[in-house]
Amino acid sequence: MIIRAESLTKHYRVKVRDPGLRGALRSVFRPRYREVVAVESVTFGIREGEIVGFLGPNGAGKTTMIKMLAGLLYPTRGRAVVAGYDPWTGGAAFRSRFALVLGNKQQLVWDLPPEETFLLNRAIYAVSWPDYRRRVDELVGLLRLEDVLGKPVRQLSQGERMKCELAAALIHHPRILFLDEPTLGLDITAQETIRAFVRDYRDRTGATVLLTSHYMADVTALADRVLIINHGRLLYDGALGALAERIAPVKRVELTFSREVAGAEVERFGVVRSREPRRATLEVPRDGVAQVSGRLLSELPVADLTISDPPIEEVIGRVFAGETGAGAP
Amino acid sequence: MRRYLALMRVGWLVDLQYRAAIVIWLVLGAAQPLVSLAIWWVVAGGGEVGGFGRADFARYFFALMLVDQLTLAWDVWYIDRWIREGEMNFRLARPLDPIHEAIADNLAYKAKSAALTAGVWAVTAVFWPAVRLPFEPAQWLLAGMAVVPAMAIRFLSTYVNGLLAFWTTRATAIAELQYGLSLFLSGRIAPLSLLPPVVTAAAGVLWFPYMLAFPVEVLTGQVTAGPEYLRGLGWQLLWVGIWLGLYRVVWVRGRRHYGAVGG
Repeated sequence: MIIRAESLTKHYRVKVRDPGLRGALRSVFRPRYREVVAVESVTFGIREGEIVGFLGPNGAGKTTMIKMLAGLLYPTRGRAVVAGYDPWTGGAAFRSRFALVLGNKQQLVWDLPPEETFLLNRAIYAVSWPDYRRRVDELVGLLRLEDVLGKPVRQLSQGERMKCELAAALIHHPRILFLDEPTLGLDITAQETIRAFVRDYRDRTGATVLLTSHYMADVTALADRVLIINHGRLLYDGALGALAERIAPVKRVELTFSREVAGAEVERFGVVRSREPRRATLEVPRDGVAQVSGRLLSELPVADLTISDPPIEEVIGRVFAGETGAGAP
Repeated sequence: MRRYLALMRVGWLVDLQYRAAIVIWLVLGAAQPLVSLAIWWVVAGGGEVGGFGRADFARYFFALMLVDQLTLAWDVWYIDRWIREGEMNFRLARPLDPIHEAIADNLAYKAKSAALTAGVWAVTAVFWPAVRLPFEPAQWLLAGMAVVPAMAIRFLSTYVNGLLAFWTTRATAIAELQYGLSLFLSGRIAPLSLLPPVVTAAAGVLWFPYMLAFPVEVLTGQVTAGPEYLRGLGWQLLWVGIWLGLYRVVWVRGRRHYGAVGG
């Protein structure tokens, strides 16, 4: 395991203040605090070369988890081993082995062209000149950065900046890549470029990637495995496909009819998710879908029939809503 | 060393983008000593004040202007922002303690600002004999040796002040308070010997005079080689040690307290 977290826990103490002048004065003389649970006793392991996605709503604890694994935050309890190091005592040797890319905070020097940050990172990470030249040429080619290298960062589009951020983070050839919301605010094309690049980078170098994202497409396109986290607790650890089977053991059957069909006729076959006079979507048990499809075709005027899994967003929504008994393995 | 050169290079390149801002900062930096000089020039019109004649005041405040540029430290504003707005995050993820970036940036700026100030002083001395220093390279060497610990004290005190942002959002307000005290206790408003004896005595055991007044007094020849110089140097080294110790404690504890806000 290149990353191992055991009972990792992070609590914050937050000052509580009542509104108004009286509240402000009271907080000066008698401050009150409240303990916020950001991450609670999370245990998991990640193998070298895996791409693992952290999924969870805002404030779930995803970013806190990544910052703890990168050694930025000290845990309240628990331990972790990352690339063979304790993240909080590993020092410079540990920090040379990973890269951290934060979607909403940049490391590029704002007033200078991106290549100046590349050169700075070359010095900071003590990368030899031939290695630097080779990696920059490769990264520039893969991310198509030829036209932006000479422009000041402040003149770049958000997509161009994120591509440069990634390139700057990879100059030292890290074994682990922590990506926190890498496609935040990017258009569809830029998101796809970033996703393709990250997958390709892992395939070529064998690096391990741990990413958080609000965009389900990032996770479905990239992650071999997902860790679903909410209120600081790990709710699920496994493949996305297996999640659908486990959380929603149903298939979705979309029907188009050759004439109008009454609701009562359709309801006999499963749970109706949507219905129009000539269309309907049903959910039927996964293991009975073949039999139900046969009956639908023979008993109703079906012009078209499609079977699919429920959308992953919906499945994960059920996990967050506590609709199922899915727990961390 | 390669890292420092790379960081300083970035500092210089960024400064080149803000040439006008640097000129404004230099003018602002010169304004306060020049205003003090103007006041004391008028006061000393009727004869010496506490052993200072007009020319003594002129030399003192020109030397103050140069030493101020050499020891300048503004890091509290940066560190406070890095911590409050999450810009510390990527710096903590690099195999380089953020203090090195601050030191390199500080040295990069000073190399320019101090050279410009020294140049302005030299040109002024051509036309205004009052500000001329006697040609005594040995004394200048002693002043140089006093400037190095002065730079360290001022930088470390400002940096540690900035690190207080790990706990409070008022780190810059504390810096303003420190600056207010330093106006009197570091010899900015007047040479320390002109202040009431109780203030001079209090200043003598604090770090303020050792980051400004002491090197200025050495540069202008008020303090020459001897016990007084060694005593000043000793106080300087003591305060460098104290601030270094404080830096270690505040840094280690602050890291543990850090909330890593803002991404």
